[in-house]
Amino acid sequence: MEQSAASNAKIEVRNLTKKFGDLLVLDRINFNIKKGELVAIVGPTGCGKTTFLNCMSKLTDTTDGDIFIDGVPADPVKHNLAFVFQEPTALPWRTVAQNVVYGMEVKGVPEKERAERLEYILNLVGLKDTADLYPNQVSASMMQRIAVARAFAVNPDLLLMDEPYGQLDVKLRFYLEDELVKLWQTLNSTVLFITHNIEEAVYVAERILVLTPKPTKVRAEVIVDLPRPRNFLDPRFVEIRRQVTELIRWW
Amino acid sequence: MSKSTHDVSNEVVVRTIVRKRLTLRSLVREEKFLYVVSLVVFFTIWHLAATRGNGDSALVTPWATLQGLYDMMSSPLGGETLVGHTWNSLRRVLIGFSIAVCFGIPLGLLLGISETASAILRPLVDVFRPMPPLAWISLSILWFGIGEEPKIFIIFLASFIPSVLNAYNGVRLIEPELYDVVRVMGGSRWDEIKQVVVPASMPAISAGLQLSITSAWMGVLAAELVSSNSGLGYIIILGMQNSDPQMVLGGMVMIAAVAWVLTASMEKIDMMLCPWRREIKGL
Ligand SMILES: Nc1ncnc2c1ncn2[C@@H]1O[C@H](COP(=O)(O)OP(=O)(O)OP(=O)(O)O)[C@@H](O)[C@H]1O
Ligand SMILES: [Mg+2]
Repeated sequence: MEQSAASNAKIEVRNLTKKFGDLLVLDRINFNIKKGELVAIVGPTGCGKTTFLNCMSKLTDTTDGDIFIDGVPADPVKHNLAFVFQEPTALPWRTVAQNVVYGMEVKGVPEKERAERLEYILNLVGLKDTADLYPNQVSASMMQRIAVARAFAVNPDLLLMDEPYGQLDVKLRFYLEDELVKLWQTLNSTVLFITHNIEEAVYVAERILVLTPKPTKVRAEVIVDLPRPRNFLDPRFVEIRRQVTELIRWW
Repeated sequence: MSKSTHDVSNEVVVRTIVRKRLTLRSLVREEKFLYVVSLVVFFTIWHLAATRGNGDSALVTPWATLQGLYDMMSSPLGGETLVGHTWNSLRRVLIGFSIAVCFGIPLGLLLGISETASAILRPLVDVFRPMPPLAWISLSILWFGIGEEPKIFIIFLASFIPSVLNAYNGVRLIEPELYDVVRVMGGSRWDEIKQVVVPASMPAISAGLQLSITSAWMGVLAAELVSSNSGLGYIIILGMQNSDPQMVLGGMVMIAAVAWVLTASMEKIDMMLCPWRREIKGL
């Protein structure tokens, strides 16, 4: 069996390469993510951010290279992953609450705990009043909240989020960013957060990976060592945001 | 934290009913009103057509048709009343339809799920699909004689293919993202089938049930017209042999009534199978 090169990294990405036919999307990418880290990934449209997460959760095959989680090849059956997709995905035949509880069902969370966590999480994301509606009766932003709630509800060891708040209004986005940070701190989970929004990346992340256009490599890594709660107007916040923006101007 | 979920989510659930005022103009546009008008005109024309001439026309009035229905319900024809004949036809349909559905839906799902199964069985389905079930009548009588079996066989054929094809198409049209929801949670192939394939194809399966029951009902009548000594098809043949339009029309009315009941029940079943589609109306 394949084994990682050691180290206590939560995620190790080794020479990850992905081609779609002749199109080279990910070009020998390498990076590590430490246990309990909240890392944001920013990169231009179409550079392969979604593709990377799909490789990680085995939704697509990799062309070459490895992804290790806790030293073994990434596998959603073995690892307690949760994924918030870029496009909201809810099962249309389940009500809002049933959609949220779904992940816990698959992962075999005991009935009683399921109900408690459901209650908590529905309140957290503001879906309590609409719990019994079907997805075709709720707005697009609520669909995305269903996905976020479903992911949080399984207390994931590793949370993968693909531009989760892109569709939400600013108020809800700020609120859920704070919730994400709070959950991450309480659950000690490792979070990989993809976003287009630089301010959002600086606000939530401990470290930001900036990707290049296709064929994609990691252009730079920016450490965000600001205390929390963070303030958008803090001069150091503004400085880091400027720094990441500069890296992105290169595109 | 003082923030309530309400100011976060900006969502409230409200249900309202819009009231319309009753005026002559709105009455004329009212669907139910036009519905009644249409029926009254139809029956009037029917009545006039039947009473024209000197009374020996092959058409009887709506009223005489109703009386014929009543007579057939109270006095037996060929050993049974109209109710008995209706039940005979209906029983055949329910048996043939149930067998077809029990085999057809799982087969359709299997064809959708497994490429191997599809490669082996699709050609067979494609060969038999274009053949109208009624084309089998003579053969089925040769094979099974003149008892219940050939009729049930025809009904089975009539409802089997729509069940298979609709379940199959239901699976094929599932959006692939729905499987991803299960996969990233670490769900197995069986979870995918149970949680995605079956519910996602339910609307198509249900549409298939409606088609199947309709064609099963047509199938039983055709089979009974050809050879039978009970059932609604038999009543019509008997009426034709006796030159009794009252009987023929009575039989036809009963056929339409049963067809209507079957369709209405399938709609009820559809709402039970796919509650998530219905709810959207209330919003
Ligand atoms: N199944 C596929 N077949 C062929 N090409 C694909 C496939 N999926 C993605 N691609 C290509 O790979 C590249 C990366 O796509 P991906 O969706 O990962 O980008 P992204 O970084 O997530 O973009 P965005 O910021 O718009 O979400 C794109 O050029 C896309 O066209
Ligand atoms: Mg993407």
